[in-house]
Amino acid sequence: MTETREITLTVNGTEHTIEVEPRRLLVHAIREDLDLTGTHIGCDTGNCGACTVLKDGEPVKSCLSFAVQADGSEIMTVEGMEDLPEASGELHPLQEGFREEHGLQCGYCTPGMIMSGKALLDESPDPDEDEIREAISGNLCRCTGYQNIVKSIEYAAEELKEPAAADGGTVTAEQRFADDDFDCGVEDCCGGPSTSATHIEGADPQFDDAGGDTDE
Amino acid sequence: MKAAQFEHHEPTTVDEAVSLLESLDEPTILAGGQSLVPMLRFRLARPDTVVDINGIDSLDYLHEDNGYLKMGALARHADVEDSEVVADHYGSLADAAPLIADPQIRNRGTVVGSMAQADPKGDWGSVLLAHDGEVVARGPAGERTIPADQLFLLPYDTSLGEDELITEARVPAPVDGEGSAYHKLKRKTGDYAMAGVAARVVLDDDRRIEEAGIGMTAVDITNARAPEAEDHLVGERPSADLFEEAGELAAEASNPESDEHGDAAYKERMVDVLTQRALGDAVERAGVVKRRVTQ
Repeated sequence: MTETREITLTVNGTEHTIEVEPRRLLVHAIREDLDLTGTHIGCDTGNCGACTVLKDGEPVKSCLSFAVQADGSEIMTVEGMEDLPEASGELHPLQEGFREEHGLQCGYCTPGMIMSGKALLDESPDPDEDEIREAISGNLCRCTGYQNIVKSIEYAAEELKEPAAADGGTVTAEQRFADDDFDCGVEDCCGGPSTSATHIEGADPQFDDAGGDTDE
Repeated sequence: MKAAQFEHHEPTTVDEAVSLLESLDEPTILAGGQSLVPMLRFRLARPDTVVDINGIDSLDYLHEDNGYLKMGALARHADVEDSEVVADHYGSLADAAPLIADPQIRNRGTVVGSMAQADPKGDWGSVLLAHDGEVVARGPAGERTIPADQLFLLPYDTSLGEDELITEARVPAPVDGEGSAYHKLKRKTGDYAMAGVAARVVLDDDRRIEEAGIGMTAVDITNARAPEAEDHLVGERPSADLFEEAGELAAEASNPESDEHGDAAYKERMVDVLTQRALGDAVERAGVVKRRVTQ
């Protein structure tokens, strides 16, 4: 009965093939077989959400699923955040948000909070407070009272919408269009960076002539 | 704690799943796993074999078809929550889905799995009862439908055979003048219901209640109907007084137990209140749903 199975997990873009017993939980495979200990085990009962990872883009609790059930899927853990393009090789805006807004004290819930925050911002880049609170409703924090976690995710949303603006800086139209790396921020808009103002205007009426965001 | 050893089977078709259920000794069916995985981990359940149905792609659907809203065994709570047809026409389901557990659990847990789990605190059983819904079960002898009234026997026990798999849950598509709602009282986000009530009404052309369904959560040994309240509503025009009477009858029909969240009398009072609220929403929605089954 101690048979094992070979499964393939693509975690943070890297493919891993491991041997697991069917009873091995996904969170144990991630932490112990792949040595990615950023994903935490908090309550061990499916309540706390510290073990939240993205499975094929959706947040799930990795202690409520067997590793064999994730065979062939794409998993993202907190370790993958800094490799995302929006992190520019440093902290991801979400991680930066938790630092800037004091979104953690003991830090135990933080990896799960960040993954739930990431799932939210992928779906809804400009969430209101209620949406943020709903998105993290499956994640318990016993330190912060959640207030600063909400602010941290708001910070990230701002930062992702308008790089630098969340720091209190302003981005001029010249800067926007002079920057080769400028991304209009609209998903599936135009295939990436552009220097053309008309191109941006044409893509989404969200932007006014000066490149400002009319939604604000 | 780790689950005990088990053999993991992953059928990719319903036929394969059913033949596994027939040949294996006391197998357990794993769908979303949001209740079963903790039970396995704490060894409250120790099956030798687990039949994991997540690979049966044909069971992953949620759509209207042939006069029913049909939910395949792999339709997740989140699928109901995100469904436009549900949001537009199935008030009770649209109310219930986002009140279940939390976003992560709704991404995995399934509607059918929750019904098959038959936890009296589960929300979907009440919705199924209020809508006179049914489940479709496949076994070695073929397919049969089990009406909601006959599905739930005891806590965690249904009339499903050992070698049967529920492939679908379905509720009749709303007729003209139909509306439904679900109200749930819980201590905090993510909790099971302390009490919950699903209500469905059909109004006739004269604005009288032609049909009524009331399903209750967490206040009996299974999800339960409130037949006296339903009968009392039929033939009457909706009014606050009528709903108060129905609320009292539903409370009388309920049979809650005292626990750390509240005593039985309090919970009965909550059934009363939730029934009135759910009926109020259902009737309001009955006024806006303009649509026939055939379309």
